[in-house]
Amino acid sequence: MSSLTENIPQSLQREKMSDEGFITSLVVIVAVALFLLASLLVPNFFQWQNVVNLVTNNWAVISLGIFVSFLLVSGNFDLSVGGIVALSGVLSVWFAQSPDGANALSSGLGMPYPLAILCALIGALAIGAMNALFVVRLGIPSIIVTLGTMMVARGIAQVITQGSQRNTNLPDEFGFLGNLTMFGTSVKLPVVLMLLLFLVAVFVERKMVFGRITYWIGANPEAATLSGINRSWHITKLYLFSAAVAGMVGILLASEFKSGFSNRGTLMEFDALVIALLGGIAITGGFGSVIGMFFGAIILAVVTSAATGMVLSPDWQFILKAIAVFLAIVTQTWAVARRNR
Amino acid sequence: MTSYSNQTSSAARFTSFLRNYYIYFVLVAVVVLLSTANLDQFALFERGNFLYKRNIINILRVSAPLLVMAGAFTLLMVSGYIDLSVGSAMSLSAVVYAMLAINGVPFIPAFALTVLVGVLLGAVNGFLVVRLNITPVIATLITLSLFKGVALLLVQDGVSAIKSGNFLKIPGWFNDYGRAKVLFDLPAAFWVAVAVTLALIVVQNRGKLGKYAAATGGNPTAAKLSGINTGRTVFLLYVIVGASAALAGIARSSFMSLGDPLSGDGMELTAILVVLLGGTAFSGGEGKVLRSFVGALIIMMLTVGMLTIVPAYYQTLVIGSALLAAAASNHLVSRKGKES
Repeated sequence: MSSLTENIPQSLQREKMSDEGFITSLVVIVAVALFLLASLLVPNFFQWQNVVNLVTNNWAVISLGIFVSFLLVSGNFDLSVGGIVALSGVLSVWFAQSPDGANALSSGLGMPYPLAILCALIGALAIGAMNALFVVRLGIPSIIVTLGTMMVARGIAQVITQGSQRNTNLPDEFGFLGNLTMFGTSVKLPVVLMLLLFLVAVFVERKMVFGRITYWIGANPEAATLSGINRSWHITKLYLFSAAVAGMVGILLASEFKSGFSNRGTLMEFDALVIALLGGIAITGGFGSVIGMFFGAIILAVVTSAATGMVLSPDWQFILKAIAVFLAIVTQTWAVARRNR
Repeated sequence: MTSYSNQTSSAARFTSFLRNYYIYFVLVAVVVLLSTANLDQFALFERGNFLYKRNIINILRVSAPLLVMAGAFTLLMVSGYIDLSVGSAMSLSAVVYAMLAINGVPFIPAFALTVLVGVLLGAVNGFLVVRLNITPVIATLITLSLFKGVALLLVQDGVSAIKSGNFLKIPGWFNDYGRAKVLFDLPAAFWVAVAVTLALIVVQNRGKLGKYAAATGGNPTAAKLSGINTGRTVFLLYVIVGASAALAGIARSSFMSLGDPLSGDGMELTAILVVLLGGTAFSGGEGKVLRSFVGALIIMMLTVGMLTIVPAYYQTLVIGSALLAAAASNHLVSRKGKES
């Protein structure tokens, strides 16, 4: 212990940084370092537009990652988000399509667009409620439940689209939300929503009771219950919020492409989990931060786009993801263990 | 363990009976349902009779990959661990096997080498989980991505799978393993699955590994304190699961006559579904190899049977619902058993 404190500068010695803050700053440093490294290796990587792209291209996964992270912090998985993205997108298209199409795939329910969005969101929330029911009420491990609901959600989307997609006979305003550019720049509405959501999440996580309760539950579920926290209700709320955000992402993606595609969002649930793990959120619960998740997404984006820039085959992305997560987990465990030795 | 508490009341005995034998009732129910359903108009079920011999043979030989994995996966889940990478391990083995065969390696060395690759893949999982102490779900999620990536890289750019091309031809013996009739008109792949399952049943009921697996899953601390090397047990189980995934990959690629790097996608979910359907508790400690084998038969009959009744795009929904239903009923039954 004494040898460690000698090496720490004065400012830190007075109030030792928490392990969580330490890991989160580590993630930020790694993200920046990787970006600089990639700038050296890949021509034209070091550009402001590229930094913007790294964030804007990943708005969907980062949005999903927010509540996936909250759930991980509380000790639960949510692998259903990819399925919900497909389901809500397909539902919003089906509800909004006018009923007089030439065939089954081009005729829907003909609701006005706002109502269609609302109903699609309700569909997404239903999947979230199902997650909560099985995980909280029946006590089934969340990994199995959410894999099941992921398949159910995507399965419903596939039935509605008959295994392909619906993209005809849509009202004109359908493509508005997903393609709306903001502040006279090329940044679109979904990206701005993601950033807002992220800032709110950081505030909730750090400063609000809701966020702190999430950590207590993850760190010690029994102690949380004994100190009067309604654990079931809290986890239920988290699953509902997660489903709502996934539903929103699905609706925005459907709007951006003006189509409801049943395979949209495939593997997004894994990517959301991967960026949370890269960001230093521990699966054991009670540890980590959405800030880390955000920079975890940047790390993944830098690694994959740099790999593409160095003309590796796109098949490499799976191996790179595996190596990145492996290194992240091993170094984080090692760093925390060494720090507290 | 359970036999003590079950002598206490008839209700408990009934629950235990239900837990041990319900899978066979489900099997009979599914067979009866499929046999009586009117399938005249569909080509796959000849003469509208499910119990027609060629139909049964077809289902059994398509099931070989799943059947061969069910037993090993059960033992792993009994020990309280999980392997999400089996699908990718299966794809990778299928690709490796096809690559060996297409480059002129004869059947037996190609088979042995591929199983060896499976053993290695299992060892990687075991290393991550046991040595590096990474949570099983995360560790096998990492290898899921890794094995899939390697499988995709092994296949040339611009080609979707290893198959006969202009220069290299898949040899004639390649699909004998998955298709040629060996015994009772069933191919070797099916009989290998049966043999593996029988061996694992013996291991579970008579062998040390089976006892150690149950002890590790039931109470890891107690198992460690009573001198069981839980780390080695789990490592060995991961290796066995890897080897069985390789056997599944060989069976699949032999049946399809190609090495498809995506052929095992989703197999991990089917494997979990089958094991849960067989009544294995996901908390570990209990479960039977034979029941998972029967569970695998049921799932294959349902998926193949379903294709003739509803369009293919209903499959995901049905499998997902079955997974949730199996998890819920499994949980309710095992909780009742514990409360009594």
